[in-house]
Amino acid sequence: MSAAIEKNHDYHMVEPSPWPFVMSAAVLVMMIGAVFFMKQWTPWLFFIGLAAVIYSFYAWWADVVKEANDGVSHTPVVQMHHRYGMMLFIASEVMFFVAWFWAYFDGFFRFDDVEQYARVAFTGGHWPPAGIELFDPFHLPLFNTLILLTSGTTVTWAHHALLENDRQGLRWGLALTVMLGVLFSYVQYLEYTHAGFSFSGNLYGATFFMATGFHGFHVIIGTIFLAVCLIRAERGDFTPQRHLGFEFAAWYWHFVDVVWLFLFASIYVWGSWGVATH
Amino acid sequence: MSEAAHLEAHATGHDHAAHDHHTPTGWRRWVLSTNHKDIGIMYLVFSIVAGIVGGLLSGFMRMELQEPGIQIFHGLASMVYGISDPSGSIDAGKQMFNVFTTAHALIMVFFMVMPATMGGFANYFAPLMVGAPDTAFPRINNIAFWLLPVAFILLLMSLFFEGAPGSTGFGGGWTVYPPLSTAGHPGPAMDFAILSLHVAGVSSILGAINLITTILNMRAPGMTIHKMPLFAWSVLVTGFLLLLALPVLAGAITMLLTDRNFGTTFFAPEGGGDPVLFQHLFWFFGHPEVYIMILPGFGIVSHIVSTFSRKPIFGYMAMAYAMVAIGFVGFVVWAHHMYTTGLSLDVQRYFVAATMVIAVPTGVKIFSWIATMWGGSITFRLPMLWAIGFIFLFTVGGVTGVVLANAGADRALHDTYYVVAHFHYVLSLGAVFSIFAGWYYWYPKMFGYMYNEFLGKLHFWTMFVGVNLIFFPQHFLGLAGMPRRYIDYPDAFTLWNRVSSIGYYVTFVAMLIFFYATWEASRKKRPAGDNPWGDGATTLEWTLSSPPPFHQFSTLPKIDSTNAH
Amino acid sequence: MVTGQFVRKLGAAATAMLALMPAFASAQEIGKGHPEPGQFHLQQSVTPIMDSIVAFHDGPLMWTITLIVLFVLALLIVIVLRFNAKANPVPARFTHNTLIEVVWTVLPIVVLIIIAIPSFGVLSDQLTTPDGERKYLGANIFSFGEVEVPAASVTVKASGEQWYWNYEYVDEGVAFDSNILGSAVDSYHQTIKPNQPRLLAVDNELIVPVDTTVRMQVTSSPSGVIHAFAVPSFGIKIDAVPGRLNETWFNSRETGLFYGQCSELCGKDHAFMPIAVRVVTAEEYQAFITAFKESRDYASAVAVLPAIQ
Ligand code: HEA
Ligand code: HEA
Ligand code: CUA
Ligand SMILES: [Cu+2]
Repeated sequence: MSAAIEKNHDYHMVEPSPWPFVMSAAVLVMMIGAVFFMKQWTPWLFFIGLAAVIYSFYAWWADVVKEANDGVSHTPVVQMHHRYGMMLFIASEVMFFVAWFWAYFDGFFRFDDVEQYARVAFTGGHWPPAGIELFDPFHLPLFNTLILLTSGTTVTWAHHALLENDRQGLRWGLALTVMLGVLFSYVQYLEYTHAGFSFSGNLYGATFFMATGFHGFHVIIGTIFLAVCLIRAERGDFTPQRHLGFEFAAWYWHFVDVVWLFLFASIYVWGSWGVATH
Repeated sequence: MSEAAHLEAHATGHDHAAHDHHTPTGWRRWVLSTNHKDIGIMYLVFSIVAGIVGGLLSGFMRMELQEPGIQIFHGLASMVYGISDPSGSIDAGKQMFNVFTTAHALIMVFFMVMPATMGGFANYFAPLMVGAPDTAFPRINNIAFWLLPVAFILLLMSLFFEGAPGSTGFGGGWTVYPPLSTAGHPGPAMDFAILSLHVAGVSSILGAINLITTILNMRAPGMTIHKMPLFAWSVLVTGFLLLLALPVLAGAITMLLTDRNFGTTFFAPEGGGDPVLFQHLFWFFGHPEVYIMILPGFGIVSHIVSTFSRKPIFGYMAMAYAMVAIGFVGFVVWAHHMYTTGLSLDVQRYFVAATMVIAVPTGVKIFSWIATMWGGSITFRLPMLWAIGFIFLFTVGGVTGVVLANAGADRALHDTYYVVAHFHYVLSLGAVFSIFAGWYYWYPKMFGYMYNEFLGKLHFWTMFVGVNLIFFPQHFLGLAGMPRRYIDYPDAFTLWNRVSSIGYYVTFVAMLIFFYATWEASRKKRPAGDNPWGDGATTLEWTLSSPPPFHQFSTLPKIDSTNAH
Repeated sequence: MVTGQFVRKLGAAATAMLALMPAFASAQEIGKGHPEPGQFHLQQSVTPIMDSIVAFHDGPLMWTITLIVLFVLALLIVIVLRFNAKANPVPARFTHNTLIEVVWTVLPIVVLIIIAIPSFGVLSDQLTTPDGERKYLGANIFSFGEVEVPAASVTVKASGEQWYWNYEYVDEGVAFDSNILGSAVDSYHQTIKPNQPRLLAVDNELIVPVDTTVRMQVTSSPSGVIHAFAVPSFGIKIDAVPGRLNETWFNSRETGLFYGQCSELCGKDHAFMPIAVRVVTAEEYQAFITAFKESRDYASAVAVLPAIQ
């Protein structure tokens, strides 16, 4: 913030920043690398780009954290911006999942659509398609549901602790939540290794793995987000009055939680209604 | 706005220009920019570059279609790819035509229209109009811009990699339907195109988040949402359309990507998938997308019509909520692009009814513009010509949309040049006219100079004649049954194709006039003054200097109870 | 040089505008089954379905959209003449008029309802395969159905391939391929059949009987891409989607050759996989199909038919 510009409002006039441009360049490298990777030419370009993207995220957000802590940049109205921004971002994420649910339900509701003879031949006229063995929803998936629900309470505990300036409680709550997030990902990994169907070659595997996989990816992002908050809490960031970074991690975590409930209810439970599972 | 605020805004504006020693300079000012006006200008420059590329691609298409037979693409293909045997170059040429059509459309849609309206004008003027010193997230604003050249480079790279086996580039249309975009184009060209769309989509979503937040949360004291200028309204509604539609496209093209590279079968019938599923997902995005391209134009035209009639907008509330209604209904009409895919009778009936509903709020807008002009004291300055041209030509394109909305009639017209005519009337004559209207309306504000009115009018009239000549005869071709995406056609379609191609040459001349006029204005440097349009121009941007100071509104303007719009 | 070219282009443009005139004059004399030079109208109908499309398009649709456009144009002209700064130096200040706003909301709704009524009829006809009982609208799109159409008695399955069509007479169990004549661009000219248009002529036409309801099943090979089967003068167009069996129908009242073209982008030769349907008398059809079933050879079977003039 260049102090020379007198301003009589509470908005944050952000200084020029290298990170947007650097990150764009990194994205270009990563995307070109992704094609090279997928075409099995070389994986390296992709990983170099990815590393650069991750680094620019880090550098950019480090600037934001600095501004959050400088006591002047994030005035109440600026905090409100951030709330709007985060809400809108989550709304767009919801629409992203709409696409995956749409694909799943297209198979689920129309597995025996007579016009689609190739699909009927494939599914054998039932759902799940012939030869596909489903998970028992009340086994690992239920366990994971409980993990996520518990993590929802631990993050709320952390929030309340923060509001009451109970730093110890904040740290514990966050640490537990992060642990539960990691546990969830691990259980999901276990589940994947026991799948009775494969990712490729069949509609069920495609919709199942891509929907739950993107959810899992979001869990990992959310876990990292919470872990960053934990580190910041250790550093002494966040006050009972001001802790947007923490709040957004919690919002994001709840969003991930709700998506899981939809996945669990529709794909695991409803999708296996009256079907033998393992 | 009140007299006091007016003066105040003025004072701080000038003050600043004089005292601000901290304006970044040189390449850092642009590349690292966190300034909404600078970023807006970069978007506009980018849009013009993309418009030139997209326009040249369509020129090759029109040259090819000028006569039956294959005239130029086999030569082009042998030149570009170095193919020597004649039948090989003809095959390469056929593919190349489809590649050009695809690239033309993607460039015009994602890299010309959207960057001009939601990138350039929205960035530059939405904050000014709501009385904000900048946008809410200046760094996000910057990356939203820089991701666009990235996406553009990826798209251009796609042109030079293998697409369909043994040929170059992706030639499956901007709608990227599988299986042509999966099994039909196994090469990397399509992967580049998909990732280009991903990046462009992320850019638009970030831009939308920034603009929505700016408009909802940074309005100057006293500017309630119902006093906000209509352009800001249009940007707000468009922002929501982008935010909610683009992620669905992202999902759909991610499915394409995994079907292509990782063996999933979302759209592959052998694995239980369904190609039509992709069309649903695509058009769930695609239809809102067409309103994304036109709503900001509606906003621009509203300002111009009011300014040059020296009369406030007629029916402000209806105008604002008509856009909201168009946005809402736009999400539930997507399958009118899919009447021939085998949808059931009931589904088609529903989509007919829902689609036609949109004509009602759109009609409200057309008639309210007319009512705004009615009783006005109109000066036919250049922006006004473009705006009136827009109103008329958009109506022509809109009513053919209503024809297509009727599934029964669309049976004869789907995938013919009638559709091409329809959407160019709303895009190349609708959206593009609104962009030129905005360009000439705000040119003096953005650059501080006045263009030559005569050259501008020459540009307008040449372009008006040119584009009508291109696209009106295409209705005839469509009615007579000429399918779209054809490099060659039965000889009976020659006449109207030739007229259409001639129209392109006229349009080309118009574009030359446009560039000359822009160059001339930048050379002659005729100072424009803060408000060249007189007392009809009431929105906040006209209270500032031209160009506005690097940071405007260091003291926020106060809006009193009189109408600001 | 550039200007010379430009002037020549202008001249060509003017000539083209003049050429409009005869095209308008000959509007009613368009041929059947294929487009005519300069045509600016839907193709001539030979089925009840296309009758209703033509009636619907030329009637309610053209009238309303033309009048709306002219109305808007008229208003704009009045504005230009009456409300320019010279004619009207002092602008009015009104911004509301509830009555007129209600009118311009309600009136379009009424217009749309008027369009929707025949629209739904036309649509329902298209998507309902005749059972012999149901009556169809034909050109009387505001009636409740007067045209009788027999139940389908021939079923043909068209399959889009890259880049040609395969037709199967489903009940007879015989099939054949139908390719465009010629391959490289020059040879489309050299190989076309006499009196058959370039890019529309095929080697083997689909042969169906006149005055008979033909059920068309349309698909595409499961590993292929999407095509679309369209014959403008029959008023049909339906996508050939891999793995999906779509259905439509037609009943031609005239014999002759009726052309269509692939109507969904399917790759490099999308423009080069035309559709040609030859409608023959019932007797000719019988003779053909009998011969075809026996020989399983299209060329020899089609030889039993009279040559096309
Ligand atoms: C800016 C872009 C834009 C806009 C605004 C529109 C507006 C509309 N479009 Fe268009 N459309 C496209 C861009 C656009 N379209 C594109 C790009 C395609 C092709 C995509 C592809 O396949 O590649 C397409 C295709 C397309 C189809 C599919 C055709 C086919 O493939 O077979 C249909 C069918 O319903 C349709 C309908 C409409 C309708 C009903 C409107 C309405 O919103 C129009 C409303 C406006 C008016 C009606 C005029 C003003 C109103 C009045 C003066 C009031 C009185 C009027 C009446 C009572 C009728 N459009
Ligand atoms: C906004 C969208 C847009 C625009 C402006 C245009 C403009 C033009 N289009 Fe295009 N077109 C499409 C979108 C657009 N088109 C789409 C979506 C398709 C379908 C593709 C598919 O089938 O997949 C298509 C397909 C298409 C076809 C059919 C191809 C086929 O089916 O095989 C043809 C054929 O004539 C054509 C021609 C033209 C011509 C001659 C112009 C001329 O008007 C071009 C003249 C140039 C301009 C008007 C650009 C001027 C603008 C600028 C220079 C920027 C200015 C910016 C500022 C001032 C900030 N287009
Ligand atoms: Cu087959 Cu287009
Ligand atoms: Cu649409």
